Amino acid sequence: MSTFTGEKGIEDGAPDPSSGAAGTDGYRRLNRRCMISIYIKYGIGYAILLAICTFLTSLTQNLPGPYYDIARLSLVGVPAIVLIYMVVAPPVFYARYRYRITDDRIEMRRGVLVISHTLVPIERVHQVEITRGPINNLLGLADVTITTAGGEATINYLELEEAERVAELLNKLIGEMLRERLHTPTPSVTGSADE
Amino acid sequence: MTGTDDRATEDLSGTAHQQGEAKIEGKRIRCHPGIIIERTLPYALILFIGVTQLGRPVVAASLAVIFIAAILINYRIWSRTTIKFDDTGVVVERDTVFKRKKTIPYSKIASVNVNRGITNRLLGTSSLLININSGSGATVPEAVLTFEQGLAERIRSGILHRLHDRSDLQDDEDEPVETPALFTPLDVILHGLFNVSTYQTVSGLFFLFYSIFQFYVSARTDVGSAGALISLLIFAALLVGPFTSQIFYYYNYRVYRRGNTIYLQHGLIRSYRTSFDVSRINAVRIKSTLAARLMHRSCIEAEVVGLASGSGQSLRPVLCLLKDDATQQALLRELLPEFVYDRKPEKQPEGAKRVLLIRAGAASLVLALVMIYPSIYLYREAMAMPGVAGHVLPYILPLIAVSAILAIFYAVYVSYRITEFDLGDELFSFVNGAVDRETVTMNYDRVQMVVTVKGPIARLFDVARGKIYLLSSTGGSSITSGYFPERDLNAVGEIVMARIASGDYDYRKNSL
Repeated sequence: MSTFTGEKGIEDGAPDPSSGAAGTDGYRRLNRRCMISIYIKYGIGYAILLAICTFLTSLTQNLPGPYYDIARLSLVGVPAIVLIYMVVAPPVFYARYRYRITDDRIEMRRGVLVISHTLVPIERVHQVEITRGPINNLLGLADVTITTAGGEATINYLELEEAERVAELLNKLIGEMLRERLHTPTPSVTGSADE
Repeated sequence: MTGTDDRATEDLSGTAHQQGEAKIEGKRIRCHPGIIIERTLPYALILFIGVTQLGRPVVAASLAVIFIAAILINYRIWSRTTIKFDDTGVVVERDTVFKRKKTIPYSKIASVNVNRGITNRLLGTSSLLININSGSGATVPEAVLTFEQGLAERIRSGILHRLHDRSDLQDDEDEPVETPALFTPLDVILHGLFNVSTYQTVSGLFFLFYSIFQFYVSARTDVGSAGALISLLIFAALLVGPFTSQIFYYYNYRVYRRGNTIYLQHGLIRSYRTSFDVSRINAVRIKSTLAARLMHRSCIEAEVVGLASGSGQSLRPVLCLLKDDATQQALLRELLPEFVYDRKPEKQPEGAKRVLLIRAGAASLVLALVMIYPSIYLYREAMAMPGVAGHVLPYILPLIAVSAILAIFYAVYVSYRITEFDLGDELFSFVNGAVDRETVTMNYDRVQMVVTVKGPIARLFDVARGKIYLLSSTGGSSITSGYFPERDLNAVGEIVMARIASGDYDYRKNSL
C-alpha cells in the first residue's frame, strides 16, 4: 500500500496521538496557518454571538424572578465558555488533525471534543473539489471535498499547492481505476441494471 | 408540432406486448394530451376556491386569466415536448421558451414504474416514472411521462426487458403469481395504525386527550373551544392523517419476486406498480414500533435508490407490512435471501453502559433543574385550591419530572440490552432503538464511507459509535451504531477495503 507523501516542509509520518502510532503510518499534519484561519472564523462567529446575547439581554428584563437570574447568568456564562473553547480549540484541532491518502483509501482523524476517524475507499469517490473561502484565500489555504454516493468528506485547511496535489492524486487514482476497468473483459452481468 | 411522428402512437396502440418498445424505438412521440388536464387541475382547484370563497369579481377574473394561461402554457409544453426511445436511452426534448433536452441512458435507469391517480383513471392514462440512481435527485423522478394506459405498460415492459435483458422477466405482471405472503385488509389497517412511530403516537394521543379536556372545560365554563379545536387538528395531523393515507396507499398490497426483480402493487385511489432489481437494494430494515412489538409484529423496508414517485409518499419501499414475526422472517427469506445470514451479534461492552448512564444522568439533571422553578410556583399556587385539585396539582410537576427521569433510565437500560452489532462475511447489521426497534442489514459493497466517532465520555470508557454512509432512498444518509470498541467498528471499513482488494467486490454489480 503506497502512501501519498506530498512535499517537504509538512510533517510526514508525524505521531498520531489518537492512535498512539509511532509516526510511521503515513499520516500527515496540517500547516500551522490553519489555526489563524480558525481563529478568524471563530472571531467573526463570536462577534455575532455577542450581538445576539446583547439583544437577548434587553429581552430578559421582564422575566420573572429566578428565570431572570438564570437568563442573565446564561447570557454571561455561555459567551465566557464559548470564548474559552474558541481560544483552546484551534491548537487542539491542529494537534489532532491527521490525514492519509494511500492508493486505495483516504483517512482522516480529527476533532476537538469529539474525535472522528473517517475512511473513504477511493473506489467510492465520485468527485473531488477544491474550495477556498475568502479567509482561506488570504492565507493561501484550501479545502478538498471528496464526494461519494453516500455523502461528502472534507480535508480542511490544506495549503493551496498541497490541495491541488491531493486533488490531482485522487483524480489520477480514480482515472487509473476506471481505465483498468475499461480494459477488463466485461462478462454479462445477469440480474443487474448497472453499467 | 415539432416533427413528431404521430403514427408512432397509433402503431403502438395495438402492438404485441414485447414489440411495444420496438415499434416506437427511434421515433419521436408525445405524451397523452391528458397531461394538460393533469397539470392544469391544481389551478382549477385554486380558481374554484378563490371564486367561491373570495367572491370578488376582480379576484375571480384574475384567477380565471391565470387558469386560462395555465391551460395555454401546459398545452404549448405538451405540444412541443417529444420523447424518443433510442438505442442508448430516453431523450425528452422540450422546445419552448425554456428549452430543455434531457437524455436518460438506459444504463443509468434504476427503475421504471407506473402510477395511476384519479385523473389518470378518468382519462385512461398512466404516469410512467423513470428514476435514475442519483443521490441528489433521489426524492423526485428524473422524468414523469403520461401515456395511454396500455402504451405506458408496454413502454415500461420494453424498458425493463432492455434493462434486465433476461428471459426470466415475465411479459405480464398481471399473470397469476404465487405471492410469498398474503396481506389482508386487516393487515393494512394494523400497519396504518401501528407503524406510526411511538413518539408520534404518544404526541397525537396527548393532543387528543388535551382537546377532550379543553372541550370539557369549555362546556362547563365560558372559556372558548378554540384551543380544543387546535389540539384536535394537531391530533388529526399526527395520527389520523398518516393512518388514513397509509391505508389508502397500501390497500390491496401485494409483493412478489420474479427472477431478480421485486414487484410491488398497492393503492386504493392511486394505484402503484413498482419494480426494482434486487441488486439495487443497499440495505434492509426490519422495523417494529413499541405497539407492533407488543403484538409480535414487524415490517420490512428496503433502501433502494431511484423509486421516487414525486407524490410525497415514503421513498423506502415496504417489502412486508406489519405481520407476525414468523411470517415476516419467512417472507424475508423467500423474497430477499441475499439479505439473510447467520448473525452472531455482539452486545455493547460494559463501558457503553457507563457512557449511557452518564448521559442519562446529565439529561435527568438538566430536566430536574428546568422543572424546579415551575414545580415550586405551581405548588404555591395550587396549595390554596379547594378539593381534589388542591391535593393533586401541587405534586403534579415533580411527579411528571420523576416519571420522565425514570423513563430516561429505563430507556437506557433497554437500549444497552438490545443494541447489537454484527459482522458477517458479506453483510453486517446494527440493531438500535429502545422504543421503536430497527435492525438494519447492510451490504459491505454498498458502503460509501465509514466514520467512527468518540466523544469525551466515550473516550474515557474506550468505546465509539460507528456511522455508515450509504446511498439511501432519500439521498446520502448515515446509519449509526451503538457504543462498541473502536477496533470492532473499524473492522467494517477494513472488510470493505479487503473486499475491494481481493476482488470479492464486483463493481459491475455495485456501481452507482
